[in-house]
Amino acid sequence: MKKIKGILITMIVIYVATAILGENFLGGYNQGKLLERTGLYGLLAIGVAFVIITGGIDLSIGSVVCLVGCGVPWLVMRQGWSPGSAVAVAMVVALCVGLWHGFLITKLKLQPFVVTLCSLLIYRGATRGLAEDQSQGFGGEHEAFRQWGTEAIEVTHKFGIPYPFVILIVVAIIAWIFLNKTIWGRYLFALGNNEEAARLSGINTDRMVILSYVICSMLAALGGLLFILNGNSAQPSDFGNFYELYAIAAAVLGGCSLRGGEGTIVGVVIGTAVMQLLKNMINLVDWLKSHMEFLIVGIVLLVAVIADEIIKQRVRKLK
Amino acid sequence: MALGAFAFSGCGEKEDGKASYALVTTGVDPFWDICKKGGEDAGVELGVDVEVLMPSNGDDQKSKLEDLLAKGVDGIAVAAIDPINQAGFFDEVAKNAMLITMDTDAPKTKRQVFVGMDNYDAGWMGGELVKEAIPDGGEVVLFIGRLEQDNAKRRRQGVIDCLLGREKDANRYDAPGQSQIGAKYTVLATLTDQFDRPKAKENVEDMLTKHENVAAMVGLFAYNPPAILEALKQAGKIGQVKVVGFDENPVTLQAIKDGSVHGTVVQDPYEYGYRSIKVLHALAKGDKSVIPENKKIEFPARQIRKDDVDAFWSDLNSKLGK
Repeated sequence: MKKIKGILITMIVIYVATAILGENFLGGYNQGKLLERTGLYGLLAIGVAFVIITGGIDLSIGSVVCLVGCGVPWLVMRQGWSPGSAVAVAMVVALCVGLWHGFLITKLKLQPFVVTLCSLLIYRGATRGLAEDQSQGFGGEHEAFRQWGTEAIEVTHKFGIPYPFVILIVVAIIAWIFLNKTIWGRYLFALGNNEEAARLSGINTDRMVILSYVICSMLAALGGLLFILNGNSAQPSDFGNFYELYAIAAAVLGGCSLRGGEGTIVGVVIGTAVMQLLKNMINLVDWLKSHMEFLIVGIVLLVAVIADEIIKQRVRKLK
Repeated sequence: MALGAFAFSGCGEKEDGKASYALVTTGVDPFWDICKKGGEDAGVELGVDVEVLMPSNGDDQKSKLEDLLAKGVDGIAVAAIDPINQAGFFDEVAKNAMLITMDTDAPKTKRQVFVGMDNYDAGWMGGELVKEAIPDGGEVVLFIGRLEQDNAKRRRQGVIDCLLGREKDANRYDAPGQSQIGAKYTVLATLTDQFDRPKAKENVEDMLTKHENVAAMVGLFAYNPPAILEALKQAGKIGQVKVVGFDENPVTLQAIKDGSVHGTVVQDPYEYGYRSIKVLHALAKGDKSVIPENKKIEFPARQIRKDDVDAFWSDLNSKLGK
């Protein structure tokens, strides 16, 4: 609870401010959309949190989103595959992507930044080649399949809990149990704090690092799938561009340290919600202009991180 | 500028074979695929080499043009991303190869001719479609990829000026953050998404939240109308909010058939590509008669409604060889 105090307060402040300044912010439709977006982007952020906790980084998330977001409709619509087999293949590809990243980083000792930077270019380039730079989507077909990204569990006439958010919560609970209640979770934190010490104490650190990249790529793939099911239109040249940065920002906001060894799943989900709230606020509050989006998001991020650091230092002094 | 160092390859037929021309677009989009097909068809017809390059941004466009000069291409038709700031560079290019513009003009450069249409007029036509869709007036929101491009600015301004009943003036520019209030129609805002499609949809959703009485939405880039439709569908507001589009995205055309989009304004990208190559080849042969006095070869935009969507679509498919 202590760890997420800062980000929780940030979220509440922005939420209340937008409710006062924005128009119809509290309406059921908008609240549903906020949950939907938190669900979509949150999956990417939880994925990258695993990698960041081990002290690594994954810059290829946006390109994996692109690969799956364009690849699945391409397989279904252009190659005539069933949605089920297309999704299965996408997940296997994401598994291989994660294994490959982990292998290069642990066995060949390449730096995560370099490996995943190359991947960022390779997967986007490959998708562009595969799809011949054509927009991908399901047209008006496969409505039942697309419901995973568009439907909601109805609560009132205007408000429902969107499926992507439900999926996020399920993933978040599993991730939380994994990190906090299993021995592997403790291994991940231990190796993020001090890889050498973790290895000497008998932990198979290579295996844990590989696992973190596999989790990251597979959640990016799941996110990419839900993005295309939800939006139904993807252009290989720009789909998912910079999404790794949104994910990393949300994870850092949520208390993950880029030095490794720190992070909470609840914090990451709240961090994602803060990012989505900010974007929503800029559109709903009249005097905030949309070209100020990056400026505002950047400043809020920085302020939150500074505040967090100051609180931590105070706590340390008190001890 | 290192451009002067490139060998001047001369116009017309090269010794080692066919003449070569290039089309350089503003970006990657199905719109440009149609243009590409037109250029390639002209290439086959004339027996010349045609290369089509689709840069990702202004810097990339510059390096792609430099690469073309390095290769010694005979003529280039380029869609200018930023005509004012690229002017000096285009003049350098024009020294080393025949240069014409297509789709988006750079009138203050040494380009020989422009092939395309005036986006201000196209925007105006879009405004007329909005007036048909909501004859009693109402609130309108515009959605577009980015406003930095000249054609985007003009297209948007055309819609606004038409709705507000102003005199035609293609050089007017209203700031995107402000509402433009007219007697019958109010243009509430113009939202940009920088080509991020999920963001394009989020923008529509946020405007549905903010402006409950919005009567019409206009998607100014090809992927914007589908993004609007998707958001309206999920909000259960198809038909309640009228939609006007631009360009010929299949989703937009299908929605016109279904009645969920009132109409769309289309250009003729196939003809841009086809005619650009023909003009370049004529110029290479020294035939200057292809250049009209005002240095513009114009293909007016067209409004496509439910009545003519079928004919338009099948014509488009036959051009694309589908």
